[in-house]
Amino acid sequence: MVYLVVLRRTKPLPYASILVPVISILLGVLLSSIILYLLASIPPLALFNLIVRSFTSPTVLKDTLILTLIGLSLVIAFKASIWNIGAEGQFHMGMLVATWIALFTPIASIPVLAKITCILAGAVAGALWAILAGVLRAYVGLDEVPVTLMLNYVAYYVLDVLVYGPWRGRFTYGYIRTDEIPENLWLTLIPGTTAHVEVLATVLIVGLAIWFMFKYTIVGLRLRILGSNPEFLRASGVNVKHMVVLALGLSGAIAGMVGALYLLGDTHRVSYPVEAQTAGYGYLGILVAWLSMLDVRGLPLAAYVVSSLRVTGITMQIAGLGGTAIVFLFMGSVLLTYTVAKVFSEYTIVIRR
Amino acid sequence: MSAFLSNKVFSNISKFSREVKPLVSLRGITKKFPGVVALDNVSLDIYPGEILALLGENGAGKSTLVKILYGLYTPDKGEVIVYGEKTKILSPRHAVSKGIVLVPQTPHLIDSLSVLENLIIGLREYGVFARVDLIEDRVREIALSIGIELDPRKPVATLSYTQKQLVSIIRALLLKARVLLVDEATTLLPSREKEKFYTLFRRFTEGGGSVVLITHKVVEALRVADRIAVLKSGRLVGVIDRDRARVEDVRKLMFGKTVTNNLQVRLKRTEHIDGGKRVLEVMGLWVSRWFGDYVVRGVSLSVRRGEVVGIAGIAGNGQEELVQAIVGLVKPVRGSIRLLGVDVTGKGVELTRKLGLGYIPDIPMRYGVSIDNTIEENIAALLVRGKIIKWRRVNEFTSKLIREYDVKAPHPRVPVKVLSGGNLMKVLVSRELAIARSLLVAHNPTRALDEVSARLVRRMIREKAVGEGVGVLLVSEDLDEVLELSDRILVINSGRIVGVFDANRVERERIEELMVA
Ligand SMILES: Nc1ncnc2c1ncn2[C@@H]1O[C@H](COP(=O)(O)OP(=O)(O)O)[C@@H](O)[C@H]1O
Ligand SMILES: [Mg+2]
Repeated sequence: MVYLVVLRRTKPLPYASILVPVISILLGVLLSSIILYLLASIPPLALFNLIVRSFTSPTVLKDTLILTLIGLSLVIAFKASIWNIGAEGQFHMGMLVATWIALFTPIASIPVLAKITCILAGAVAGALWAILAGVLRAYVGLDEVPVTLMLNYVAYYVLDVLVYGPWRGRFTYGYIRTDEIPENLWLTLIPGTTAHVEVLATVLIVGLAIWFMFKYTIVGLRLRILGSNPEFLRASGVNVKHMVVLALGLSGAIAGMVGALYLLGDTHRVSYPVEAQTAGYGYLGILVAWLSMLDVRGLPLAAYVVSSLRVTGITMQIAGLGGTAIVFLFMGSVLLTYTVAKVFSEYTIVIRR
Repeated sequence: MSAFLSNKVFSNISKFSREVKPLVSLRGITKKFPGVVALDNVSLDIYPGEILALLGENGAGKSTLVKILYGLYTPDKGEVIVYGEKTKILSPRHAVSKGIVLVPQTPHLIDSLSVLENLIIGLREYGVFARVDLIEDRVREIALSIGIELDPRKPVATLSYTQKQLVSIIRALLLKARVLLVDEATTLLPSREKEKFYTLFRRFTEGGGSVVLITHKVVEALRVADRIAVLKSGRLVGVIDRDRARVEDVRKLMFGKTVTNNLQVRLKRTEHIDGGKRVLEVMGLWVSRWFGDYVVRGVSLSVRRGEVVGIAGIAGNGQEELVQAIVGLVKPVRGSIRLLGVDVTGKGVELTRKLGLGYIPDIPMRYGVSIDNTIEENIAALLVRGKIIKWRRVNEFTSKLIREYDVKAPHPRVPVKVLSGGNLMKVLVSRELAIARSLLVAHNPTRALDEVSARLVRRMIREKAVGEGVGVLLVSEDLDEVLELSDRILVINSGRIVGVFDANRVERERIEELMVA
């Protein structure tokens, strides 16, 4: 008699942190192409060509950088088992404050300072927006998942109201949108791409800082312990409520910063309705964070893959091969195969006689 | 008395009772984990109608052995024979279908459901169908017969630890267990309740079942078990009949020859305690449980520098709440607590820890460690005072603790969850001993430890008091431990201090009287 026994691994699968994401992306793409072939008769080979081209497209770098930053934001929260689904709202609050500074304050005309102020103010706004959920979670006991999710819509609509009303520009040719921000605030393009030097710099600085925080600081360690046993954290003399607020605050700060950067680099103005204006980076970032296995070092690669798949989807949309759903199809398939691969990485199958 | 044994659950057991063939046999079982051989060529028979005690120091491989029988691990080598048939136990479900059930140390129950609902889910999980009303009757019967109060309709969240363990065991009985694997499930029980469980086990074996009882209390094992099997570093070093076993011999098998002599070393005492400053002062403390009554009722006590104050009492008389209030985990309703002269009443653990408090909790997994993090990280979480962690220093310190306390771990970077229960406790105890600067609050510090480790920890607690002048509040349900370690002994009963004794002039009987009065 031969048995196939499914066992929990006593030691982790070697290279799991690389194998799991790679396998899940390959399988996810395969799954998507099967679905696309069956539903829309898109030949897999053509799709394959499209994907390969997307991976080398010069437009991928921009999204990769942005998504790496959002991924960083979410990794901080997720490592602490704080499920921040609100990066999208924090992003938009950052954008809101940056827009206000850029359009309506005198700071906007001071050369370097203006940019820095916008970015930092964006961080503060994102942090405060997330801290709102943090305080509700820590002091009132409200689950952060629905709260952060709902705050996304509040952020969208606050910004919408401003753009529709008081902030509507004078030179908008009938569009409902703000004026352009002054040109001295615009970010510097990296030649040959659509990405910006300042965003790259932010990725490097923030990425290193977060990596250092988790590896070498007591705060980083406490955040990780918060993720596994908050009672122990409390008994070791740490104010757990503060840590919850801090986790969300840091997470929101980075998301808010990205909102400001996106305004200065890409849109240069805010258009109504704001929720249609970006790619939903706050949500895409969730996929990026998981694909990195919550490892800061894996984030750029995860962001690169997700960005490339997104570009593929957009290209197909432009070519008239489908709607926005194509992007979701890719993302959904990868998330599905990722979840399955993650479970299997913790088990092994043994043949016994 | 044994009326409940005659019902359906047990009826299929009796036919094994006259057979001399073993119910379960292990043949040459070997199991390796990264860095350790947990079991090394172990062969063992389990006969019907016996309580087989499985002894061994912390990390000897006891849990690994029963986990193999329960299908949680598969052996690398060797075979398992169940009812005379070579069997691969593939999963807990498979084990249960063969009548082998594990009762773990921490109950796996869902807090928000009632006892009954938990039991029904537990049965469904294994494909056993049962009627609710029948189960309810059975639960009441079993609880009544051993004298532990248990309302099957109450949510599990409201149960005491003892009651939860009883539910686990009842679950095993309902699953028609023939071989009950009890992995330290009785270790954390108050001693009186423990006796009730032993009675239950004895009746279970009288019905033809067998119990594998894992414990590290040699004396207790000799009293309860029919046979004793001793594991040392994964090897089976002896199987002895109770009648022929002497405590000394068993100890020798468990720990080797040399160590046992150290068991008799006398502990030093601090001189001139009376002149010392008061480290801890508790005045008229009242603490209530969640919404209910007061469980600590007007307790006043003090601990001086270098003094060990022992609190003796039967578990559940307010000790846990008293400890938690002093540490800062719960707010007292009335009264005051001063640590080093600073008012810390209800101000939280941040303040008490800052003032140099060390805390060995009763429930290590909850308040003592984070099992997903490494040993090193669990140490660093309390040891590091600055903002930056110097891992090299933490690593050196951790390695030193691992050596001093003989923690069985391949290296300081393994997650705490792979450690055996006793080794996990050693990590925690060694850390708290190292960081305590003013007061050490130790609640049952040695309960999960084997005798040699327990002895080491007691000596370390003493040395901390004598050598560094740290005050120690020792709350323990082990009266021997309290008598051995303390300078002063307080007896707690129903939330009140009912007696104060000088350790030099104690009458054990008097303390025992007060404990149960
Ligand atoms: N899942 C596991 N992964 C790695 N090592 C383990 C695992 N389970 C047990 N061990 C190791 O095997 C040895 C025996 O452990 P265990 O059987 O739990 O001991 P005990 O006799 O105290 O119950 C210990 O050194 C322990 O660290
Ligand atoms: Mg064990």
